[in-house]
Amino acid sequence: MLKLEICGLEVRYPGLAQPALQIDRLTLEPGMRIALAGPSGSGKSTFIHMITGMDRPSTGSVKWGDTELSKLSERRRDQWRARNVGLVMQDFHLFPGMSAEANVLLPQRLARFGLREAPRRRALELLRRTGIERPEQPVETLSRGQMQRVAVARALVGNPKIIIADEPTASLDAGSGEAVAELLTELTADSGATILAATHDERLIRRMDKVLRLENGELVS
Amino acid sequence: MLEFILADLRRNWIGAAALALLVALSTALSVAVILEERALRLGSARAAAPFDLVIGAPGSETQLVLSSIFLQPAPLPLLKDDILARLQADPRVAMAVPVGFGDSVGPFPVVGTLPEAIAMLGGLGEGKGFERPHSAIAGSAVTYPLGTTFQPNHGSPGQASAVHEDVLYRIEGRLAPTGTAWDRAILVPIESVWETHVHHDEGNEHGDGPHGLPAIIVKPGTIADAYQLRQEYRTDETLAVFPGEVLTRLYGTLGDVRGILVAMSIGTQIIVGAAILMIVAVHVLQRRRQIGALRAFGASRPIIFAIVWTEVTLVLGAGVLFGHGLGYFAAEFISDHLSNTAGISLPVEFRREDLLGLAATFLIAALATLLPAWAGCRQSPAEALRA
Repeated sequence: MLKLEICGLEVRYPGLAQPALQIDRLTLEPGMRIALAGPSGSGKSTFIHMITGMDRPSTGSVKWGDTELSKLSERRRDQWRARNVGLVMQDFHLFPGMSAEANVLLPQRLARFGLREAPRRRALELLRRTGIERPEQPVETLSRGQMQRVAVARALVGNPKIIIADEPTASLDAGSGEAVAELLTELTADSGATILAATHDERLIRRMDKVLRLENGELVS
Repeated sequence: MLEFILADLRRNWIGAAALALLVALSTALSVAVILEERALRLGSARAAAPFDLVIGAPGSETQLVLSSIFLQPAPLPLLKDDILARLQADPRVAMAVPVGFGDSVGPFPVVGTLPEAIAMLGGLGEGKGFERPHSAIAGSAVTYPLGTTFQPNHGSPGQASAVHEDVLYRIEGRLAPTGTAWDRAILVPIESVWETHVHHDEGNEHGDGPHGLPAIIVKPGTIADAYQLRQEYRTDETLAVFPGEVLTRLYGTLGDVRGILVAMSIGTQIIVGAAILMIVAVHVLQRRRQIGALRAFGASRPIIFAIVWTEVTLVLGAGVLFGHGLGYFAAEFISDHLSNTAGISLPVEFRREDLLGLAATFLIAALATLLPAWAGCRQSPAEALRA
């Protein structure tokens, strides 16, 4: 499992006087459950971009275990992310025209040619645990709650060490949101991965070990 | 990857099909032009093959060939009486048959000639030759059965003015198919044509008064004889032409027309291609969040590039292939139509060099697709997270 260490991180965008994100020092132990809270524009998305390697900081370092993300090329960061990060997003980003199972396996299939038997078995097992009864069902015929559960299974299928969720319950009704929050925390706990969820949802925040609050690009707690 | 591409194409099948159809139509246009021009060239060359040398009175070489070989009606000046006899007596001539035309029955021209013409055209397919003064031999494409009797109309098909009531022909035999315009002709003995027209108006192309002929088709003994005869019969009184020579000149003109048509169709293809690339590029940019999501899941830039490139190339490639099929069938359709009216068969066929054209079109489509593929792979994974 991986420990996150952020040191002297600063992200600036052209035309903005203030840095979009500024974190002097932050350490998160492996296996922690962290909620990332804060108003819109507080730097949550930028924070996620940095810790998933989608973007590189202007200065400072982001280190997961022994891997210094800020020093990797884009290609290496893509590879690292495919291996280590499971993503759950507000808009699900499932691909219509494909079954639930194919969607769960898509990141694995796009990361390497051919597919070993193990991920397929794990995909079916995860779909069963997330309550999707027909893995062959096309995703566009699922309810929104079911879609997000498929997305949770997709995030977990590669046994990632880090799960990043961006407002995973924001576009769901209360019941589905609760179910997804429970599933996300339970399944992540089973795998021992670190989970970090950007959220406004109190039900999800309550399930976490620690809350990081961002305001104007700086951590306030 | 392929599963993702196929699912994407299935989902957007209307748009993909519309793009492929556009490509297909513009490809079909140039394919049809090329195939049809070739068919016309091949078909007319084959139709002229049995006719080595044509001799007529001085005038238009093209008209002489069109009238005698393709049986396209037009008044021709007449040869003097003694020319046929002179040719028949010439040791360098293997066969010389007169062609007397200007009558018709239904849509078929009636051609007065000698029995030797049957052998020159490849022999009989069924029935008998000119055994009686009013025997007629039908070409293989003439629809009348053996035994049919008819009175010829004065004038070419569609322009007949009066019926020759004093003569009654009977179709006794049928020629084997030749692939020439003569498949649609009905041959009758030249003497009967002269007889029929003795009482008719003076100075027309039948050669009334008494034995004028519009054209003589000559089969020379050797190639050397052919050149000698051609030389000898280009005088003030006669005009000798190799049909091949006249056709080559016509093909030159045809080739120029083909060049213009091909350039126009290639221009159309370029415009259509540019429009399609714009559509595809806009489409790719509209889907930047979806592409960003794939990147966020760990799909590298080369994978995204490969997905977009493969998908667009599949659509364009299908269009190019379908276009070749469509062009072929369009050319077949036009050929059929022309064959029915002109009487010569126009063979539509692909050649080895067409494969090169196909490969070149594929290559251009594949290269042009690099642009949207590049636009696709430039998308940032962070796009997926932007609400």
